[in-house]
Amino acid sequence: MNRLTALIKREFWENKGAFRTTPLVIGGLMLAAILMALITFNHFDNEFQSLKELLRFIAQQDVDLRAKVVYWGNLQVSEIFSSVLAFVVFFYLLGSLYDDRKDRSILFWKSLPASDTLTIGSKLLSAMIVAPFIFWVVYVLTHIVIMLLFSVVVMVLGENPWTLFLSLGSPFKAWSMVLLSYFAQSIWALPLYGWLMLVSAFAPRIPLLFAILPPVILGVLELWVDFLKTFTLSDNLFGLFGHWFANSPLILSGDEHDGKFEAALGIPITSDFDHRVTVANIFDRLFSTDMLIGLAIAAVFLGAALWLRRRATES
Amino acid sequence: MNYVIEAQGMTKRYKSTVAVDNIDLQIPAGRIVGLIGPNGAGKTSALKAILGLATYEGELSVLGKCPSKDRAALMEDVCFIADVAVLPRWIRVWQLIELTEKIHSKFSREKCLQYLSKTKVTPEHRVKQLSKGMVAQLHLAIVMSIDVKLLVLDEPTLGLDILFRKEFYTNLLNDYFDEERTILITTHQVEEIEHILSDLIFIQDGHIALDSSMDDVQERYAELMVAPDMAAAARELQPMNERELFGRHIFLFQDANRTQLKELGEVRTPSVADLFVAIMNGGKS
Repeated sequence: MNRLTALIKREFWENKGAFRTTPLVIGGLMLAAILMALITFNHFDNEFQSLKELLRFIAQQDVDLRAKVVYWGNLQVSEIFSSVLAFVVFFYLLGSLYDDRKDRSILFWKSLPASDTLTIGSKLLSAMIVAPFIFWVVYVLTHIVIMLLFSVVVMVLGENPWTLFLSLGSPFKAWSMVLLSYFAQSIWALPLYGWLMLVSAFAPRIPLLFAILPPVILGVLELWVDFLKTFTLSDNLFGLFGHWFANSPLILSGDEHDGKFEAALGIPITSDFDHRVTVANIFDRLFSTDMLIGLAIAAVFLGAALWLRRRATES
Repeated sequence: MNYVIEAQGMTKRYKSTVAVDNIDLQIPAGRIVGLIGPNGAGKTSALKAILGLATYEGELSVLGKCPSKDRAALMEDVCFIADVAVLPRWIRVWQLIELTEKIHSKFSREKCLQYLSKTKVTPEHRVKQLSKGMVAQLHLAIVMSIDVKLLVLDEPTLGLDILFRKEFYTNLLNDYFDEERTILITTHQVEEIEHILSDLIFIQDGHIALDSSMDDVQERYAELMVAPDMAAAARELQPMNERELFGRHIFLFQDANRTQLKELGEVRTPSVADLFVAIMNGGKS
């Protein structure tokens, strides 16, 4: 356990920029943008002549509607954190078993009494838990600052922030849902994470190419063969990716998808298409046959990555 | 007798070449062994097998463990410096110390800081800010602070200047080595380590060309320096090797009668480098 925490710490130290600085910068930019928008609001040509009038208008709306919009807004703050987190984890895993092979420091890591299984485990846990958690903490902090900022503005303009929005839309619920969706995403994305680690352990260079080319080539071939056979474009590897992507818990946190995006990806929108952020929706996906197959695939990829890691110092 | 390293019929094959060919090896505790061979002789392949970094055929036991299966467990009692400057470049010195402390139960932070206090390396330094020599000092400081039974050094001083190299070996010998420990070193700079070695192993084309203690080497091999007029007489005694230096002829003998040699000229113990050249050039061992 001590060794595992040490190895996870090592991953954090090495990836401080991606894991910690990135969400902080996003939060900072977000706050700056909001501040700028507030300051310049009066200069925009819009139907509300001033912020004060806008607030009055909002205050007059139905409480239920307001609560809904506020809850949606609370989740929306997480969106940019979520999408950047996906990129950060993608590239982190792609380099996880590649960088130290490239600069030969793998020889130092292998001189420590930590098994390759433990090493791979520490990297996977960093991607599944450490990075999402840090992003979530910064999201919550950013959200709190935004709420404070809005409260001050609202008070200055003579409205009551508590009745206007603070008491509505339960930020705690939004925070818990986002955290849940992050960890659910970590499980949902395990096949992808396994693939990225396998590529990272295998690629002689340019892991990005090795990660993307094989599935794309396979998908195109499959498309082509399918097309020759049936003259339809259904049920292929790309469709599978689309389906996986559209159902990922991270996307779920976007809330209330109408399915337009999924339709564009060619995923059939059925009557039971439900993408609201609910615990039930998230668990539905985690306890599905699809997930079980995904976990099996992930296990194969990770096993292969471990096999390669053991032999990484052969030549 | 318990050996630190024991190999029987150890072989390492790459696709088309045999890097280590069926070697037998027994290294007892408390030795400083020099593993010396030309480039591509199989030194690194043999070391990698010993350290559990590569697969092999045959029997190999290091401190009673099987390196290819128990690398992590073996590393509790074995340390190695595979190459200077392979410490991760992004890491800070204090992070490296903390990591090693957490992962290695036999690491002493006090010792490490004490070694580092003699250098210009500070805890806040990043490895990439350090010069090659400083990285080597840092790596050695870490390794010497771990209480292990076997230390393996593969070209530990490659690319370092002579001051660093001298200091490196002095530290190793004075502060680290004792009866319980075994050090296995490979290097091309044979001259620098020959006075600290207790045993010598020459490896050539995957075979062991010489495996002997330094005492034996001093007893069995003799170098004779003669004037040109005595050269023919010396040749009669079947030297392993002959070379010419400033008009004088230098012969290398194995198991020769020293009194007989002394009649012909000046006799002394050959340097490891000269012995190496003689044996690599086809001399019998």
